[in-house]
Amino acid sequence: ETHWDMPTPYGDTNFHTVNIRQFAEDVREATGGELDITVHSSGSLIKHPEIKNSVRRGLVPIGELIMSRLANEDPLFEVDSVPYLASNYEQAWKLWQASKAVLSKRLERQRLKLLFAVPWPPQGIYTRFPVVTGDELRGVKMRAYNKSSERLAELFGAVPTQVEVPDIPTAFGTGRVDAMITSPSTGANTRAWDYLSHFNHAQLWLPKNMVIVNIRAFEGLPESVRQAVEQAAAEAERRGWEASQAETEAKIRIMEENGIVVSEPSEALVKRLRAVGATMEQEWLERAGEDGKALIEAYRAL
Amino acid sequence: MDMIWMSLVLLVGLLLLLGAGLWVAFALTGTALVALHAFSGIPAGDSLATAFYGASVSWELAALPMFIWMGEVLFRSRLSEQMFSGIAPWVGRVPGRLLHTNILGCGIFAAISGSSAATAATIGKMSVPELTRRGYDRRQILGTLAGSATLGLLIPPSIILIVYGVATEQSIARLFVAGILPGLLLMMLFAGYVGLWSRFNPAGVPAEREASLPLVEKIRRSRPLIPVVLLIVGVIGSIYGGLASPTESAAIGVALAHLLSWRGGSLSWRTFVEALMGTVKTSTMIAFILVGAHFLTVSMGFTGIPRELAAWINTLSLSPYLLLLALTVFFVLLGCFLDGISVVVLTTSVILPMVQAAGIDPLWFGIYLVIVVEMSQITPPVGFNLFVIQGLTGENIVRVARAALPYFLLLLAGVVLITVFPQIVTYLPSRMGS
Amino acid sequence: MRGFLDSLYRLGGYLSALQLVLIMAMVVLQVLGRILDKLLLAVGLNALGLQVPGLAELAGFLLLGATFTGLAYTFSVGGHIRVDLLHRALPDGVRRGLDLGVTAVALAITGYALWYCGRLAYDSYDFGDVSIGMVPVPLWIPQTVMVVGLAWLAVALADALAGLVSGRIRHLKDESPQE
Ligand code: NA
Ligand code: NA
Repeated sequence: ETHWDMPTPYGDTNFHTVNIRQFAEDVREATGGELDITVHSSGSLIKHPEIKNSVRRGLVPIGELIMSRLANEDPLFEVDSVPYLASNYEQAWKLWQASKAVLSKRLERQRLKLLFAVPWPPQGIYTRFPVVTGDELRGVKMRAYNKSSERLAELFGAVPTQVEVPDIPTAFGTGRVDAMITSPSTGANTRAWDYLSHFNHAQLWLPKNMVIVNIRAFEGLPESVRQAVEQAAAEAERRGWEASQAETEAKIRIMEENGIVVSEPSEALVKRLRAVGATMEQEWLERAGEDGKALIEAYRAL
Repeated sequence: MDMIWMSLVLLVGLLLLLGAGLWVAFALTGTALVALHAFSGIPAGDSLATAFYGASVSWELAALPMFIWMGEVLFRSRLSEQMFSGIAPWVGRVPGRLLHTNILGCGIFAAISGSSAATAATIGKMSVPELTRRGYDRRQILGTLAGSATLGLLIPPSIILIVYGVATEQSIARLFVAGILPGLLLMMLFAGYVGLWSRFNPAGVPAEREASLPLVEKIRRSRPLIPVVLLIVGVIGSIYGGLASPTESAAIGVALAHLLSWRGGSLSWRTFVEALMGTVKTSTMIAFILVGAHFLTVSMGFTGIPRELAAWINTLSLSPYLLLLALTVFFVLLGCFLDGISVVVLTTSVILPMVQAAGIDPLWFGIYLVIVVEMSQITPPVGFNLFVIQGLTGENIVRVARAALPYFLLLLAGVVLITVFPQIVTYLPSRMGS
Repeated sequence: MRGFLDSLYRLGGYLSALQLVLIMAMVVLQVLGRILDKLLLAVGLNALGLQVPGLAELAGFLLLGATFTGLAYTFSVGGHIRVDLLHRALPDGVRRGLDLGVTAVALAITGYALWYCGRLAYDSYDFGDVSIGMVPVPLWIPQTVMVVGLAWLAVALADALAGLVSGRIRHLKDESPQE
């Protein structure tokens, strides 16, 4: 009997965590208890920034993290965060199929096996004022937390503003920031209606969380258990993608019920977003080199 | 039961290391190493390295040395002395007199700082020498300080409410608002106790000469308060005026304190360096203990002890009140050995579902949890306010803990009050938003 | 030698202090940038959005540096706290024995931590790990600072241990109040 501790970054009610707990349950059941995974949610065992390296170093055999965290290591990991490259579930699934092999290879170099990935609901624009054409964002302070979010704000003519996650409500409340881009999930979970008023369901991109395993730990398992893990992972991926779609609708409804004005992007805004997306795709391609080009070609061919 | 055996070994181990006089940070680290080696298959050394690194790279934590630095600068300027002589005329007839400055000072400072250690260090640096000089009862000085500094956690902003809010997906804004009334309630409880105590111990509360002055004279003598008020307004104002995040406001406090100290003529190269080196000493000490505590938390997470204990409580299927009673005992015991944030991080996953199943509002529970965790700040052997005050005064933590005992009981009374009258917590947030 | 060691510890303290000053200065610059923006907006101009790139992450690294480079200095001035209740009640010989014991234990733990933090830094270097914020910082840099700080502390602990063994110091230094 093998016991695995699995650190995950998000809280127990988050749909990613719910899905992963189910995954752990499935593995336990399929292996007759031979592999017992304990999920440690909300960074309680290992905090988000340390999860990947902890799995690599064999501190824990398995863990979850958001893929785009690795963007500074390798731009390929933020292909799911290029605006308007893949902006609905169908496209996001294709992009994932096109990028899976190359990302898995990258992770293998770090003794990591990519088990499965589940997207967050599509990213939209949160503001304290209506956004109709996109011009409204000119000159306002937009939250930036890494290079690409900074660039995105710049392309909108907004002022990129650094705000850490726990500080978001205070930053909005006191006017240090006027706009941010995140998913309906995060908006509803942090009760965005306490500190802002408008959500534009712009569907900019669908960032993914991934579950990784230390290759040595994985290969130390008996063949039958390995198969059970792979099977449960495939099932978790399928379930997670469905849950994510359901989550999108549910969380948008919750926001509406709480008085947030939800709108779809106007034609003018879509045009604007496409232009921004095209620029950022070009810039991403420059960073990502040959592998990036191949990835995008494979995606477009699907 | 296996769990109980493991817990006992670790508790006795920690107590032995601490009792033998091993430095606190090492005692925590050593216990964590024993836990990992003896009770888990985890590579202990690599786990230590990751924990040490992860715990010390923290933006939120950066506020701690800044606030300590602010306290050091104020302590070396005439500002702290002026503050006390400005307040003295007003509290001359209040039972407890200047002892209330600890409570009030901590309460106000709590509105700037998110941590109780920073609150204890900053206020204590000023109030302990001044109150001692004026001849107040040593034990009450330490007790009011240790007790009131815990308010840093409850009165917003609060690091621990952020941790709880993020872990349980509760609105941090609502949690902050919910902490206001209970914070004021606790201040009133503390002030009431000090008043009562001084009735029975008049010798511990020296008379303030300025008490019988006419009103105009009192106001005139309050003028030295202006710089301090400016400092507080500057720091709080920088947050609410949208100029700084709560973490950043700490650095603003340092800059303003230097400015005021320079205006007051007490800033020199010597005092600057002294204050800075004093800050290095205190903040390094606290940060190193935090690093050790984080490693102990991680190792406890790997052994699974807190989870299993919490899960065991769950199997008892208690009524809401009994559940809260059991949880309070559980948290107080855990809080003796772990720091507050660790307690929250390690147990919410198991405890929140049972709390919600019992029909308890998670928002209310967050505030309850913070008050219980506040208690852990002043219980030996591992209590951060005790460590800070020992570092500040040289008084042994056991003595400080004894002085803080009444405040521990008052916090407990606070828990009972918010349980009986949950509106104290829920009223303000219910008026928020839609 | 004595003088060299004492200056060595003080140097660590100064380095730690310098990093605190840097944190403060960066935040103050950031806030000044916001004040400037408010003024610009007030007179009808566009905000510039001047800021310290990656402030939160950099401040985190500096905080790590301040903590670890300050360890030896803080030890040398008796700033790390411990429960010495028992010590005061014990006869002098026993007390010296305990002090020797805990210093040796602390040195052992520090050595252990030093070794594994070194491995962590090497591993980060080996795999080219970088931070996630706006300014990608190779993680081996702050992790090496951690190693250096622990080595510094190990020297201070070994120094104290040698002092206790040789009888040069009678007791470990503990914080005197309000010095
Ligand atoms: Na506070
Ligand atoms: Na405690």
